[in-house]
Amino acid sequence: MSTTRPLRIGIVCPYSFDAPGGVQFHVRDQAQALQARGHEVSVLAPADEDQPVPDVVVPAGKAVAVRYNGSVARLTFGPRASRRVRRWIEAGGFDVLHLHEPMVPSLSMLALWLAEGPVVATFHSAQVRSRALQVAHPLLRQSLEKIAARIAVSEDARRTLVDHVGGDAIIIPNGVYLDDFERALPHPRWQGTPDAPTIGFLGRLDEPRKGLQVLTAAVPAVLERFPGARFLIAGRGDDGAAEAVAALGAQASALEFLGGISDEDKGAMLSSVDLYVAPQTGGESFGIVLVEAMAAGAGVVASDLGAFRRVLDEGAAGALFRNEDSADLARVVVASLEDREGTATRRQYAAGWCRRYDWSTVTDQVEAVYEMAVAAGEATPGRSETWLPVRALRNRGEGSES
Amino acid sequence: MSWAETTLLVVAAAIVVLALSWVRASRLDRLHRKVAASRIALDAQLVRRASAATDLATSGLLDPASSVLVADAAYAVFDAEGAAVTPEDALDMAGLGGDRERLESALSATLREALDGPQEVGELRGTLAGEAFVANLAATWYRAQLARRFHNEAVAQAQRARRHGWVRALRLAGRAPVPHTVELDDLMPAGLGAPGPGGAAQTER
Repeated sequence: MSTTRPLRIGIVCPYSFDAPGGVQFHVRDQAQALQARGHEVSVLAPADEDQPVPDVVVPAGKAVAVRYNGSVARLTFGPRASRRVRRWIEAGGFDVLHLHEPMVPSLSMLALWLAEGPVVATFHSAQVRSRALQVAHPLLRQSLEKIAARIAVSEDARRTLVDHVGGDAIIIPNGVYLDDFERALPHPRWQGTPDAPTIGFLGRLDEPRKGLQVLTAAVPAVLERFPGARFLIAGRGDDGAAEAVAALGAQASALEFLGGISDEDKGAMLSSVDLYVAPQTGGESFGIVLVEAMAAGAGVVASDLGAFRRVLDEGAAGALFRNEDSADLARVVVASLEDREGTATRRQYAAGWCRRYDWSTVTDQVEAVYEMAVAAGEATPGRSETWLPVRALRNRGEGSES
Repeated sequence: MSWAETTLLVVAAAIVVLALSWVRASRLDRLHRKVAASRIALDAQLVRRASAATDLATSGLLDPASSVLVADAAYAVFDAEGAAVTPEDALDMAGLGGDRERLESALSATLREALDGPQEVGELRGTLAGEAFVANLAATWYRAQLARRFHNEAVAQAQRARRHGWVRALRLAGRAPVPHTVELDDLMPAGLGAPGPGGAAQTER
């Protein structure tokens, strides 16, 4: 459905590619998706000269670990970085600049400060207000006003933006390559039967935020109704596994620990299990794994975090339970396993619903945003050719005075 | 204080005031240009949407009554006054004009009625030509929504800048007209397969 002409797109990522993170993955996949559509893409990201990076990435110098806003982040800044950003912008001759997290004091903020043409910005985090940002706000405001189009990746990110920065943003979610998950073949070893269903969990085992302990506490009640049920637990973290085993005692044999699994196995697991449970207790701004599970065809049961509720279309695409409430989780799991028809309906709905998170849909939307930003940029009347800018306006009001 | 000292102070103060005004004025000027630019982009996109609607109406894929009504609503948009194609127009009149806004909203409402229900749209999309017309309408419509959001964002920024004390006291905005947001109903039909949240579920794909 896209009719976009090929554009020269400059994308700036504030975080280093040597550390895995949501923003980096997003930038990498987005660059790839845009290239596949015939656009010319260059990504500027913090990286050493000798650090291996994807082809599309232009290294902007080493990221330095600094304390910022209460935690340590690896960012790139300073005059050398500024020079590199300037050179990259000049050499690129971009039709549009796409900056990720321009409020994070790193490359994106520098690029925004230096940018002249159409700028699109994406806000990812539901970040807390920083005092330093407030102090610097008068300096940043001028920069922020250069942004032609603001994108938030989720409702939560949009809220943060509205509350802390002011102004609004359109929501374009993170993209997921769904095809791999839709095509994933089930693995017989992980498939259940009506009497011995399989229930999957994915995530770090020793990170309480991922909620393994919530699931563990729900296991006995599920086993009471389905004695043959198996729980497939994928993810790293030996301490978490030991804790779960200790908590369950004799019933721990219902747990099967798969360790860290490859993307391929993840797809296979999600398409094999009867139910995928996401008991995360907080800190999730989106929920990519839920989308992957929907695409793979797993029935989804998730905690009722705001982000999850929205990804599951308020429960139409997957069942929700009260966050951190193991009894409610057990109830919902048992109900979903008993009501196979209802679960199948939700799964069917989810298969269509989750397409909106596919990169093909997301890229359509991003291209539309670029087009509008470029259109406004091309229409910009008389780009500051008067020495005293105010004159242009005065004239407009008074007609002939000059 | 000697006469020379006083003069020096006055001159210094004047320079400070002038410099601050210049900064404020250039910011205001930049924001006004941004408003004008996004206004032109929005205008062009709304016209594209109307012409996509006309294409669909004249394709023979809709029922005759819907065809006539959609075409009529779209032509009304073409004929409406207040199109801003040059920067001067755009700077002169920042809003879209009440008439135009009503007509655009009416086009949205008519299209929503004509494309009511995902099933109907699904059938339309069943044919190759139908898919092309509907996809074009969806694409131009979505872009019009974006353009309006971006324009209103720019207007809000300009309005904020104009409210600033310095700007008001020194009348830095001159007689440049106050920019207005564009308010119109551009909610997409549920079945159009609008990309993204806020739009419809894309079950027909």
